[in-house]
Amino acid sequence: MTQDQSNGVVVTRNVWKIFGDRAAEAMEAVRREDLSKAEVLERFEAVVGVKDVSISVDEGEIFCIMGLSGSGKSTLVRHINRLIEPTSGEILINGENVGNLNAEELRAMRADKIGMVFQSMALLPHRTVRDNIAFALELRNVDAFTRANVAERVIELVSLQGYGDRMPSELSGGMQQRVGLARAMAADPDILLMDEPFSALDPLIRRGLQDEFLELSQRMKKTTLFITHDLDEAIRMGTRIAIMKDGAIVQTGTPEEIVTQPADKYVADFVAGISKLKLIFAHTVMQSVEAYESNGKPLPSFDDCPQASPEDDLDVLVGLAINQENPIVIVSDSKPVGVVTKDALLRGIQGEV
Amino acid sequence: MPDETDIRKPFVDFAGPNGTYYADTFLSIQKMTLSRFHINVAALVGSFIWAALRGNWALFVISFIVDLITLVNIALVYKYSKAAVDNAEKSYLVERYEGWSQTHMIAAILVFVLGRLIFGWLADRLYAVQYERWRINRKVNSGVVASRLLVALLTFALILPLLLYRTTQFSPEERSCIRQDRAITQGEEVVFKKRFDCYFIGEFPTLFWIDRPDEISYPRGEDGNRIVKRTPPRADAPPVNLNTYTSQAIDDSIGYVTVFYGFLFDGITQILRAMLTAITSVFVGTPWPIMMCVLLYVAYKMAGIRTTIFVGASLVYLALFGFWQTAMDTMSLVVAASLICFIVGLPLGIWVGKSERGKIIVTPILDVMQTIPSFVYLLPAIAFFSIGKPPGILATVIFAMPPMVRLTALGIHQVPENTKEAALAFGANPRQLLTKVEIPLALPSIMAGINQVVMMSLSMVVIAALIGAGGMGYVVTEALENTETGRGVLAGLGIALLAMMIDRVVQKASKARRN
Repeated sequence: MTQDQSNGVVVTRNVWKIFGDRAAEAMEAVRREDLSKAEVLERFEAVVGVKDVSISVDEGEIFCIMGLSGSGKSTLVRHINRLIEPTSGEILINGENVGNLNAEELRAMRADKIGMVFQSMALLPHRTVRDNIAFALELRNVDAFTRANVAERVIELVSLQGYGDRMPSELSGGMQQRVGLARAMAADPDILLMDEPFSALDPLIRRGLQDEFLELSQRMKKTTLFITHDLDEAIRMGTRIAIMKDGAIVQTGTPEEIVTQPADKYVADFVAGISKLKLIFAHTVMQSVEAYESNGKPLPSFDDCPQASPEDDLDVLVGLAINQENPIVIVSDSKPVGVVTKDALLRGIQGEV
Repeated sequence: MPDETDIRKPFVDFAGPNGTYYADTFLSIQKMTLSRFHINVAALVGSFIWAALRGNWALFVISFIVDLITLVNIALVYKYSKAAVDNAEKSYLVERYEGWSQTHMIAAILVFVLGRLIFGWLADRLYAVQYERWRINRKVNSGVVASRLLVALLTFALILPLLLYRTTQFSPEERSCIRQDRAITQGEEVVFKKRFDCYFIGEFPTLFWIDRPDEISYPRGEDGNRIVKRTPPRADAPPVNLNTYTSQAIDDSIGYVTVFYGFLFDGITQILRAMLTAITSVFVGTPWPIMMCVLLYVAYKMAGIRTTIFVGASLVYLALFGFWQTAMDTMSLVVAASLICFIVGLPLGIWVGKSERGKIIVTPILDVMQTIPSFVYLLPAIAFFSIGKPPGILATVIFAMPPMVRLTALGIHQVPENTKEAALAFGANPRQLLTKVEIPLALPSIMAGINQVVMMSLSMVVIAALIGAGGMGYVVTEALENTETGRGVLAGLGIALLAMMIDRVVQKASKARRN
């Protein structure tokens, strides 16, 4: 959590958002006295939406913000394109303070640099799929010919070929969200804000869209802020995950860090039910050869042991361990660097390493 | 099984005194075992006093009214039997008064007995409802509280004496009261009873009299320009009441505005007339075969073949019965009025839909416009614009505009917040938000508004014939004046067909647009 705050593509510095008529007053009081959310509500009839959030999102990564409803994740992400103004703190995009933009610059930034996908899709029902996709371009007065070309290219990207002239109401929910995604990508923005994009979809369709988005994201290298209330989704999608509770960020880290070293009980409860098979890797559960042999058991010759690399996950290790008497030897640069016993493997699956 | 006392505890807590009885009753109500003829005897005897003590104001009002009606009827019995004694020498009067006295006696007994029985029957059932509300909200009245009795008795004491007095007296005439008022101002002595009668049991008294205002006229001065001339009222002119004084003031200000700013109204009249002339020249100036074909084509394009057949039949009716010209006149008026309503109402509606302040300013004005009877519009129209078609159009516009504003505002207001948010997130400026998102999404509502405007315009244009707007309405008013029922019926049918024609076409068109 002690990252360099200035390097990221999207950086927020101590962002606070307090809703209510007496927000400024409440902010002052919070600065002075460090009030709790309930106290602010009682004394100022104001709701703390976002509480002192500082994050830094690196170029090309998918930064997941995970939290239950009401935790302030949607509010936070709306600060980035200034759909919501912070009560205090600042937001930088490529080092530029968003708060200093005037109305026209802000619109230009929203249209050119940031694409947004909504849980509710929020497509325009009176426009065709193509016109919906090209909406951001149209708002920037791009000519119709270019718009049609761009739209056609993006339609292909999200595999909606042939649906350009349909109305959104003729499409299924999953397809509508593809249109939403295409609309966000049409202006070729640097940053994607995805506000629970797949939450309203059926599990199977959600899964499919997640895979497609991951694949797309690896190709397009867009810096993405991905909001979700589903930890499984966060772990699948996220390069890093920030967990929010009551407006504040509880923990930031890679999926493996979150699962293996939860910062507090709240996070621990969250990750308790998560399958660790794909999240924990051999280098985390292995012990050194010396430590293994210090227990008095000599290691069998390497050729009799199954071998794996430090980057293999538990899933692979379990596959190797089945029908095997000997422990797994972890090999790096054709040298043994560690040993994984069955006990260590089982502990790893439990999440206790 | 939960303990019996546990079950009964909330009932007892609620009812307070006599809790066991109410616990039994409420339990049997919940179990649906309460006898169909169950009556609360305490309520039957105690009437509104019981209701007040128990804090059930619905029951209080019921029992109070029953008792009041009983007492009033007894008072009437007294009044008429006294009148019968007073007029003993006129046998026909005695007979009448005794008859009335008997009727009221029977009424008193009936109301008392039946009313009390029904009240006693209702008492526990409604009291149980109060208990249910108390379960949700502990602030609901419960138990027996003496201070409530005080409120009840006070109410009784405030209402009963005056009411009984009123029923036993013959109320004074308004004219004699006015005469009495004047006499008092001139210092004459009037008996207290007569004063009291005029103030409290007659009409609402004129509380204050105002000196007659100056009479104002606007003759031409020596230089030929209009001047304001005030003539003081005659010295012996009687004072006037608030109504007369204010209406005189309104007349004076209208007179002033029309005399000194007449050019403004003339200008508006000219514009309206020019607009109407242009529209009329299309509808009336075009030879009827062409016009008929155009109308049929428009109907077909906008609403399909079935409506076109109906429109064709209606047009044939209008033409065969000699209403073609007048119907086209009416159409021109409707088109002109609807056009103005649209041009003014759409931006106004957008403003109301988007701005809280617009809503606060415009909504009450619309409320007034919609609640004032349509005939009342005609008066200011005449006052400022004299008679003819232009004031007719203006009255129509005022009458027909509210739905345009309201439905546009509704449509704009109903645009989903997240759709607007999405547009903003993609960099829409306020104008783009309005033209590319809000108006298109509000379009169904706006079309409904246009439909309403057209229909209301038609109905008002007919009434506007009273101030010389002409058209089909004129035929009807003329028939009304000369009691020519047949002509009136034919013209009325023509108007109905015209209305149905326009309605079908506009409605189908807006529906087609929606899909």
